[in-house]
Amino acid sequence: MANPTISRPEWSTVIDSVLQKELEQHVLVTSWDKLLNMVDTVYNWGRRSSLWPLGFGLACCAIEMICTASSRFDIARFGAEVFRGSPRQADLMIVSGTVTKTMMPMIARLYDQMPEPKYVISMGACATGGGPFKEGYNVVSGIDKYLPVDVYIPGCPPTPQALLNGLIMLQKKIDGEHITNAPWYRGDVERDIPIPVLGPDLIDLRTVELTAERTALGLAEVREADLPKPSKIPAPQPEAEVVDASGNGAVGAEAAKPPSKIDLIRAKARGETLPAAGSAAPAAAAAPAAAKPAKKGKRALARPSLVWLGDEGLKELAARLDAELGAGTVSIVQAGLLVAPEKLVAVALYLRDKNPIKYDYLASLQSVHYEDCIEINYQFDSTIRPGSLIELRVRTAEAEGQGEVPSLYQVYRGADFQEREVFDMMGVRFTGHPELKRILMWEGYAYYPLRKDFLEPYYEAPAKVFPSRVDEGFGQHFRAEEVNPHGTNLKVPQGFTDWASLSSGSDPKGQPLLPGAIDVQELGTDQFIVSMGPQHPSTHGVFRLNLRVDGETIVGLKPVMGYMHRNHEKIGERNTFLMNFPFTDRLDYLTSMGNNFGYALAVEQLMGEDSRPPERAEYIRIIMAELTRIASHMWSIGFLLNDLGAFFTPALYAIEERELILDLFEWAAGSRMMCNYFRFGGVAFDLPPGWIERCRGVVNDRIDKKIDEFDRYLSQNEIVLDRCKGVGVLTPDQAINYSTAGPVLRASNVAYDIRRAAPYSIYDRFDFDVITGPNGDLYDRYYVRLLEMRESAKILKQAVRDIPDGPILPGKKSYQIKVPAGEAYSRVENPKGELGYYVVADGSGSAYRYHVRSPSFINLTALEPMCLGHTIADVVGILGSLDIVLGEVDR
Amino acid sequence: MLWVAIGILLKILVVVSIALGTVAYLIYVERKVAAYAQDRVGPNRAGKELGIPFGLLQPLADGAKMVLKEDVIPGYVSRPLYMLAPVIAIVAAMIGFAVVPFGPVGPNQIMNFQIAPNINIGILYVFAIGSLAVYGIILAGWASNNKYAFLGALRSSAQLISYEIPLGMSILGMVLIAGSLDLNQIVNWQDRRVWGVVVQPIGFLLFLVSAFAETNRLPFDLPESEQELVGGYHTEYSAMKFGMFFLGEYLHVITVSYLTVLLFFGGWSLPFHLLNQNQIGFLSAVFKVMVLLFKVALMILFIMWVRWTLPRFRYDHLMDLAWKSLIPLSLVNLVATAAIVQLIYSSR
Repeated sequence: MANPTISRPEWSTVIDSVLQKELEQHVLVTSWDKLLNMVDTVYNWGRRSSLWPLGFGLACCAIEMICTASSRFDIARFGAEVFRGSPRQADLMIVSGTVTKTMMPMIARLYDQMPEPKYVISMGACATGGGPFKEGYNVVSGIDKYLPVDVYIPGCPPTPQALLNGLIMLQKKIDGEHITNAPWYRGDVERDIPIPVLGPDLIDLRTVELTAERTALGLAEVREADLPKPSKIPAPQPEAEVVDASGNGAVGAEAAKPPSKIDLIRAKARGETLPAAGSAAPAAAAAPAAAKPAKKGKRALARPSLVWLGDEGLKELAARLDAELGAGTVSIVQAGLLVAPEKLVAVALYLRDKNPIKYDYLASLQSVHYEDCIEINYQFDSTIRPGSLIELRVRTAEAEGQGEVPSLYQVYRGADFQEREVFDMMGVRFTGHPELKRILMWEGYAYYPLRKDFLEPYYEAPAKVFPSRVDEGFGQHFRAEEVNPHGTNLKVPQGFTDWASLSSGSDPKGQPLLPGAIDVQELGTDQFIVSMGPQHPSTHGVFRLNLRVDGETIVGLKPVMGYMHRNHEKIGERNTFLMNFPFTDRLDYLTSMGNNFGYALAVEQLMGEDSRPPERAEYIRIIMAELTRIASHMWSIGFLLNDLGAFFTPALYAIEERELILDLFEWAAGSRMMCNYFRFGGVAFDLPPGWIERCRGVVNDRIDKKIDEFDRYLSQNEIVLDRCKGVGVLTPDQAINYSTAGPVLRASNVAYDIRRAAPYSIYDRFDFDVITGPNGDLYDRYYVRLLEMRESAKILKQAVRDIPDGPILPGKKSYQIKVPAGEAYSRVENPKGELGYYVVADGSGSAYRYHVRSPSFINLTALEPMCLGHTIADVVGILGSLDIVLGEVDR
Repeated sequence: MLWVAIGILLKILVVVSIALGTVAYLIYVERKVAAYAQDRVGPNRAGKELGIPFGLLQPLADGAKMVLKEDVIPGYVSRPLYMLAPVIAIVAAMIGFAVVPFGPVGPNQIMNFQIAPNINIGILYVFAIGSLAVYGIILAGWASNNKYAFLGALRSSAQLISYEIPLGMSILGMVLIAGSLDLNQIVNWQDRRVWGVVVQPIGFLLFLVSAFAETNRLPFDLPESEQELVGGYHTEYSAMKFGMFFLGEYLHVITVSYLTVLLFFGGWSLPFHLLNQNQIGFLSAVFKVMVLLFKVALMILFIMWVRWTLPRFRYDHLMDLAWKSLIPLSLVNLVATAAIVQLIYSSR
């Protein structure tokens, strides 16, 4: 202990050794150091035994963090179960999940609000270094860029055991601290972290000057100039003039530079020889075609979905629309109806109100950036005759900021958030949309990330595997972020000069835009705005609600999202098809098997009959999907009750059952949560011996009983009834018009279940009921979920009984699959609702466009009408009953 | 006179330190109860180094940490009120103990287990002081300059004021029957006749419900309701200031449990006169204290058990319950009791 600031008595040197020995025998002699050590022991022991974590979860890892508090792992043993909602009372920040730029200012602020001594655990690969989302334009590559981290826990996500180990490591670290050199007692140390700001891009206030300098030099543009750009393909044309070479056109564009090793790898994967040279995409399209004239791009069968209206029906519909709204209104393009923008609203109104099959349900809406246009796609279905899916296409100008399409907001309210998303990601304006603002990124963000010409800060190449990561000899290896002129994770538009406007007070995500006041009382009361989230105990992740309240009555509500936007779609367009499976796991991280299922179906649809899964694989898929449904509903019911104020008890009992299901997943797939188990045409591995018996045991002995238990203790509980009945009512018409899906839609008495409406896989063989609720209130949504678990158990029993032996893949395992050019929209009934995958393939190894229709995101559209007039306590319950998962909301 | 003063001071010292120690352990007990309610183990590591089992040192660790933690006073708070609020919360909870008998009290006893013995309006005093606690919460919410804290304070002021009424009226029946406001007399009456819960079942239920609301415990913990208001009135408080609110809450729980037992479960007496109330002596006094403590412990466990079982009421339901059900019911109960007492009294 050589600390000069502490004056030590020097008597130990004066007294002679004999006397000292004598003294030590009879008197308690200690030195200042020893005394301090004793103080240290007590001081450290107090902190190590009472680490109260901040109740704060970012993404998938947060689920495992909650599981750590459940009965199987029980973090309470270490005295660390007291999760505090307020940072003022917390000692430990567990950064559990992907840190996005949008969220970073909040995290820094929370950290600053925590009192010293405070500790940070970086949980999982994302928090530690960006993890799988590292290349995302909205992802911070590691929390340690901003906060001092005490313990890193690897894993994606780390298991609860790993978190406990991390906690023990932290305790060891605390044991080694000394009161004399604890940094928080030194007055001169400024421990506050400068809060980064959301400017043109996230800016660390410490590096503003450097960034300004580099922006002025235009280094980003210089770097981008010689990067390989992604190629664009032309939009599909009416049947007669289908462009056969479109697949090859895309290939040609990549050959702008001399062929490297990685190009060879890629080209080989596509089964082609590398073209010698080429220039821009359209011009070069002929070159490769000339090089090998025999090869013709394979096209997938044109159909929007596995179950749809059919060619005949579509022609009939087109003829009817032409007759009604004037000739030339629509033309059939690749099994979809191409509509002129000015006629879009009229067509939609006709489809909704007058068509024999009333298309009252806007299933999905997305956009594709083609070479010559931006196409907006609409998938419509009918709740009266489900399974008659049709696709509308609208095309608009390709140039950035030029696109303009009439909004369908007034016809289908479900278009609200989806149109905003297209605006945010593609820059297409929707005329007539009342509130066209960015939804996932922040206002003032300078780019439209899903446009093909957007090169993100970490941009390395149009498709993985990135050449810079392939070891092409010693000394050649570098990572793109190392050569990014703005350092890691930063991109500021050229010509940006307004550096002074960046202050930590500004948060473009937080501008509340609320409708005018509704008069609830004639009393002269003032209203005020409460910003709930993004860190709040009941928002199920980093979701934010701007509430305008009069007393406790809600008079305005705006959801603010994007805090978890981790660029799923952009990354999905650079992954090969197979590489994208683990990313779908992380969409709705409670239902990874279900997400896999939907994605597998979409690509299998493109691949055609070659990839039809064998019988056994189909059964395994159904078993996994239904187990997932039970696990997800268990979680949802438990946490709904938690939101209603029953402190974790129902939730932890629900988690017990979920753990058993996760055990089954782990046994079959190797991972608890992120299973990555499905493959195109089957599943990754066969079930291990004994799995079926164990599964049967879990279903018969545990799950049924647990459902009964929930029913017995919760369904008739006075307070539950009081809190749930008549709260957050969504009428059937509203539910359909707002495009809600899953249990939320069915609780409003609309029997729309994809498993029945458009049976995929082998769901048509099973006997189960589609559960609906009579009133569409909070209670019905709870009860529908409860009954759906029973139905799932029913399906599981049948599937486990009937599962045949046999292969699990149609061919042999392949690491690079061939997907012909084409377009597919597949949908599955995920626990949260209709999960849709829209994939456009250009014949190369990765998707040209990849979009996820996420039920959590679209269900949120209906949050505002459900909440108005209720109280803050109800908002929490209603949000809980929507059962959102932020990984899927923000993607 | 001096000795009396010293005696009282000693008593205060003993009671306060025991109360604070108990409160610390109540938090531990609550965490253990929560663990058992949720099929978990609960804290069991703290103290393992010294061979102390079951994590029994957990409260000490929490205390050591809290005391040594940085005490953040945000820049935007109203400083004097912000500092005052936790003091009020804990002081109001503490001085209510002055008239709570911890054991047999009376002129003949060898020792009065009460700080201020023989005050004949003891119960009025408890309620008078108990209602002061609301100032702590309101001030905390107001001074924090935080919206969640503000909402918490609004809720708690309405809630605590509303529930004062049924709480006060629910015990009046018992007071009428026993003919005294003195807790000692009420216990003695119950010992002679029958436990209060038998003669005043409605009064007991009203008292129990109101007591939950008064102590801000689930299902009535709206002022802090974590899922809605993050931490409610104490959102901005850190370190020991937050700890003081915590202690205040548990002190309230103890007071309320004592009152319930004294008013409705016969205090230190056992049913069927198993324990002779007239017997004076050291052993008997200790035994009576034990009986009382046992009953109080059961009551506290009951309050905790409820917390980990039920969901929370909604604010307007809570108000409905107070004004539309509890208050009319307590009025009816009071009038009916008064009439019956009068009839029996006049018929004698």
